[in-house]
Amino acid sequence: MTYLSPQISHLVAARPMSVTMGNAIRQLKLEISGSDIDLPEQDAKDALCQKIDNYIRDRIIIADQVIEETAGNKIKDGDVILTYARSSVVQKVLLGAHAEGRQFSVIVVDSRPMLEGKRLLSVLASAGIQCTYILLPALGAIITEVTLVLVGAHSIHSNGAVYSRAGTALVAMMAKLHSVPVVVCCETYKYSETVQLDSFTKNELAPQGDLFSSFPSVKARDSLTLENDEHLEILNPLYDLTPPNCITAVVTEVGVIPPNSIGSIPVALGRLL
Amino acid sequence: MSADLHGSQRAVETLVSKLRRRQVVGSREAALETVLVLRQVVSKARFSNIDQLISLIRSVGKRLVEAQPKEHSVGNTVRKLLHHIREEYNTAMTGNASSSKTVYSISNFVLQGQPRKQNVAPKSEATLTLKENDPDDPDSFARVLKPVLMEAIQDVLDELETVYDNISKNAKDHIHSDEIILTIGHSKTVETFLKVAAHHRSFTVIVAETGPSYNGHEMARALSSAGISSFLVPDSSIYAIMSRVNKVIIGAHAILANGGMFAITGSLLAANAARVHSTPVVVCAGQFKLTPLWNLYHDFGALDFADPSSVLGFEEGNLVDKVDVLNPYYDYVGPELVDVFITNDGDHPPSSVYRLIKETYDDDDHEL
Repeated sequence: MTYLSPQISHLVAARPMSVTMGNAIRQLKLEISGSDIDLPEQDAKDALCQKIDNYIRDRIIIADQVIEETAGNKIKDGDVILTYARSSVVQKVLLGAHAEGRQFSVIVVDSRPMLEGKRLLSVLASAGIQCTYILLPALGAIITEVTLVLVGAHSIHSNGAVYSRAGTALVAMMAKLHSVPVVVCCETYKYSETVQLDSFTKNELAPQGDLFSSFPSVKARDSLTLENDEHLEILNPLYDLTPPNCITAVVTEVGVIPPNSIGSIPVALGRLL
Repeated sequence: MSADLHGSQRAVETLVSKLRRRQVVGSREAALETVLVLRQVVSKARFSNIDQLISLIRSVGKRLVEAQPKEHSVGNTVRKLLHHIREEYNTAMTGNASSSKTVYSISNFVLQGQPRKQNVAPKSEATLTLKENDPDDPDSFARVLKPVLMEAIQDVLDELETVYDNISKNAKDHIHSDEIILTIGHSKTVETFLKVAAHHRSFTVIVAETGPSYNGHEMARALSSAGISSFLVPDSSIYAIMSRVNKVIIGAHAILANGGMFAITGSLLAANAARVHSTPVVVCAGQFKLTPLWNLYHDFGALDFADPSSVLGFEEGNLVDKVDVLNPYYDYVGPELVDVFITNDGDHPPSSVYRLIKETYDDDDHEL
C-alpha cells in the first residue's frame, strides 16, 4: 500500500482524481488487503495482476458489450437519434445497432473547445449511417425532429445526477422540454456514492492549446486572438452536471435504471459479483 | 424632373440589390438605409392626393421587403413611415390632433379598434390649406405637404440614430452592483447598455462564444477594453454557470407580435436554461424591431440559414458529402421565456407587445 500511495499522488498531481480512477484504486486496494499473506510474493503479484485484468475485462469491456446490446434494443427503425460530443459507449451502441440492420439516422451535436463530435461523425459516416452535424446553439431548431437522445457520462451519482461533457446538460434540458427520452449509457465503474449538486466542484478547465484549430477556417484569424488580460478571462469548463429530472433512464451492465434508483447500483453489483 | 424620379428609383434599386446580397449587415443599418432611401423617394415624388403617395411608398416598401424578407426592420421602417405620414395628413386635414379621443363610446372603440394611437406631435401647427386633386395645380398638394412629411421622416431618422442612448438611459436601474450577467453573441445594443451601466455599477459579465459565428469574442473584447470584468466561455457551459448568473441580457433581431422574438442562435438555449434556474431574461432592442408578424411554423420556415462551412468546413473533405450540416442563424424564442423588453420607448413585458404594434403601425400596412 505504501508503495502505491506515492504513485497515486503522482497521478493525482497531474490531473485531479476522477470518480473512475477512485473506484479502480479502491477496488485494487480491496484486492490487496484481501490477498493471502502466506502467498509467495510473485504468486501474490500474479494474482493481483489477474484481478486487475478481470476488472478491466468485466467492468469495462464486457460491460460495454452488455450496454451495447441493451441500449441497441431501444433503437427502433425510423428513429432519429441525437448524441452529444463523443462517447465511446454510444459509438459502440450506434455501430452495433446499424450492424444489426436497424434503419435510423443520427444527429451529432458538437461544441468547442473539444469538438469531439467530428471524430464520432467520421466513424459513423464511414459505417454508412446517415448523419447530420450541428453545433450546440443550433439545437433549438432540430430538437423537434429527435426521437431519442443517447449520451455518455463521465460519472453518475447516487442522486441520479450525471456528470458529463459540458453541454450535455443543455441537450438533456431541451430534450426534456420537448418530451424526448434521454438515455445515458454508463458502465457501473463510473458510479460514485457522493452526491454532486453543481457543476463547479471537481470541474476541469481545458488547456488553451492550439488557438485556431477548433474554429472554422472561414472565420478571420485576427478576430480570434483573444488573450487573458486585466479585465478578461477565458474559461473552458470541460464538464457539467445534468440534474436527474432531465434524464429518463441510465443503461448500465446491471440493467436499465431510472435516475432515482441509481443508488441501488452497488446492491445490484453485489448480486452479480 | 424625370431625372429626379430616376435618381430615387436608382437609390431604391441600389438598396434592393444590397439587401439581396446581404451587404447591409445589422437590423439598425438596414433600417437607416431604408429611411434614407424613402426620404429620397418622398422628396422626389409627385402626387396629387394622399393615396398616390401611400401606394408609391407601399410599392417601394414591397420591393425592399421582397429583396430580403428575413430582414424585418426594413418592412418595419416602411410601416412606421406610412403611419407617420398618415398622421401628418390627418392632422393637416382636420386641423386638430387626432389623439384627442374625448368621446369614449363603445361604437368608437369597436369601429376603430384602437383606443389609443401613438402620439405623433403634429408638425403642422396651423391648418394647412390642402386641396387634393386640384385640376389647375396638381402639385399644390404635394408642395404643401412635403415639408411636413420631411420633418416626420427626420423624426424617424433621429429616433433610429439615438436608439442606443435611449435604451441605455435606465441601464443603471436594471443592474445592481456585483451582479453576474450572461450575454451571448455581439449585440451593439447590449454592449452600449452594459457600458453605460458600468459607469455607475461594478459587475461581471460572462459572454458565451456563440458558435459558429463566434461573435462572443468581439463582445468580450469590447467589454473588457471598457474596463468591465468579463469571462469568455464556450456555449457548452451555459447550463453549468447558469446557477451563478443573476440576469441574462440578450439582444433581438426582431420582436414578433405575440411577444416572442428572433434572436441569434443560442438564445433559445440560454433563455431555457435561465427559465429552469428562474433567472430573469432581459432583451434590449430598439422599437424599429417590432414586427407585426406571427411565427406559427418556427421549426424552419422563419429561420435564416448561413453557410455550413462555418460548422463543417472543407478541410474535413471526406465528410462533407456524406453528412448533412445545418447552420441556422436565428432562433425563435417564445414570449414565455422573456421577462422584459427594454426599448428606446420604455420597458415592456412580452404580453403588451401586441399593443405597441397596434400603436406604432397601421392595420392596413401589415401586408405591404
